[in-house]
Amino acid sequence: MDRRKMLKYLGISPAVLTGFPAGAETTRARVPSANGGSHEEGMITVMNPAIAGKLAARVPLAPPLDSLQGKKIYMVNLSWEGPDAANYFYGAMTEWLDKHYSGVKTIVKVTADGMFGSDPSILKDITASKADAAIVGVAG
Amino acid sequence: MQCKIPAIGVASSNIVHYATGYVAKYQTGMPIRYVSVPFPFTGQPRMVDVGYVTGKDMLTGQPLMTAVVNALTSPLTAEEKVSGAPSEESVEPRLLPPDSEDNLRQLFEAKEWTDFNSIILPTERRVTEMLKGTSHKPDEVIKTINITGGARPLTVEKVAISAVMAGASPEHFPVILALATQAPFGNSTSSMANMVVISGPIRNKLKFNCGTNAMGPYNRANAVVGRAFAMMSKTAGDLRNNVNAWETLGNTMQYNSQTYGENEEALPDGWDPLHVEMGFKPTDNVVSVGTGWSSIASVGASQSIYPTHYLMRDYMSSFCASGSAATVVIDPTVAGLLKDTHGFKTKAQLSEWFSQNIQKTAGSYWGNGVIQSTAVPFALAGLEPYASWKKLPDDALIKPFTNPKAIHVVVAGGKVQTMWFVTDFGIRRGVLIDDWA
Repeated sequence: MDRRKMLKYLGISPAVLTGFPAGAETTRARVPSANGGSHEEGMITVMNPAIAGKLAARVPLAPPLDSLQGKKIYMVNLSWEGPDAANYFYGAMTEWLDKHYSGVKTIVKVTADGMFGSDPSILKDITASKADAAIVGVAG
Repeated sequence: MQCKIPAIGVASSNIVHYATGYVAKYQTGMPIRYVSVPFPFTGQPRMVDVGYVTGKDMLTGQPLMTAVVNALTSPLTAEEKVSGAPSEESVEPRLLPPDSEDNLRQLFEAKEWTDFNSIILPTERRVTEMLKGTSHKPDEVIKTINITGGARPLTVEKVAISAVMAGASPEHFPVILALATQAPFGNSTSSMANMVVISGPIRNKLKFNCGTNAMGPYNRANAVVGRAFAMMSKTAGDLRNNVNAWETLGNTMQYNSQTYGENEEALPDGWDPLHVEMGFKPTDNVVSVGTGWSSIASVGASQSIYPTHYLMRDYMSSFCASGSAATVVIDPTVAGLLKDTHGFKTKAQLSEWFSQNIQKTAGSYWGNGVIQSTAVPFALAGLEPYASWKKLPDDALIKPFTNPKAIHVVVAGGKVQTMWFVTDFGIRRGVLIDDWA
């Protein structure tokens, strides 16, 4: 075992190793150190720079649909780096849905304030349109 | 407002990880269902994006549209039905458990609380000493950092911890506190950075470098104040690589956010310091923060065969002009040339000239991703000049710097060469340092 650790377990300051009894007395207790903290056997205490984040309250998901048959799906285009890519993507999605689910209707809407906004008018529009489900994207 | 209908997200694989982890934990509280396309989604040819619809969902490996149908129709899990207060609480103790210096350094790096250069460990005594640099109480909340969620209260004490870590002294602390009002630094996949300009008599009192090598690693005040901004941005913003910091390339300018002082003593007659142009008194001490991406140097001295401001104009035409923002950092000798030889009696006249003379093609303007994200919504809403610009052919020329007041001119440097930087940094209104003394 390391001699310093052994002395610590015996309650004796490793300062005795230096041959200075006076020093051995002071290091039994936690004392201020030159670096501004306190030390015991080279231990120091520092302040925590991190700040606790507030966790969001949990919100349950809305109940799922039983089927897409005959449903109205609202597609929100977030305009991620511009609206074009998502418009093409949603167009292809609509084609696929038309082919596989009879009576599916889709509405594609570009958010008014871009990818960083919240655009409350979209939420109002979704409600007013009586949409059954929504797809939001495309990020990336 | 809630619509109370099933909704799913579509995002590329890199975003989904963030959205279902950090965002759900700190922002939405919802385990939103996602389907995922390959990254990158934007900037691809049309056929690639369309092809993703008939491709695979990156999360489940199913055909993407099968995954869409499943996400909208499959029964909710118990986890998806949870509501109310979070079951756990996020706690950060004021003091860290005692440990050896080596272990603490490793801990700070593991937690990404550093810029990975050596730090001064923030012992309570050092932080207490730093707090003597201000009259503000340690528990005063300067602002709440919520850029990626979490609503973290940035207190005077937390800023003092960052200031100690960065190597600052108590006399720097009011500047750092004023800077904290602008934290955190830019955090965007587009890899932005900041510029910090110190104005007023405090430049000389604290020995900020405004002269030779003003923007280089040759001065303590510039170095530690800029570094403290990075420290507090990372700790208060909880910014961690690939967790909620997603700058694809990152930006070396984030290390000290280009912190420098304006060489106010070398301004030509009639050219006001940056903070005076903002409406502050010359005797006020002010820190101003800009956000941007790019900096282009003159690469050599000014030449009489081609006026300096012409070359600046040419180089600035490559900027995206988001928000009409630009900042030109020029040596005092260049300021002298612009005034005495080319007749710009004020900075404002030079800014106006840039606004009237910088041109780029509509294709180049709309070809920028940030412009697509920020200006296209304006165009679609019919807001001018964006709506008209959107209708132009790609080769039509536009003047994208519509607001000369967003083009700032800062004079710095040591009169060693007639050189300059043109940048796309948009400087916000300055903050009075004296309020934080």
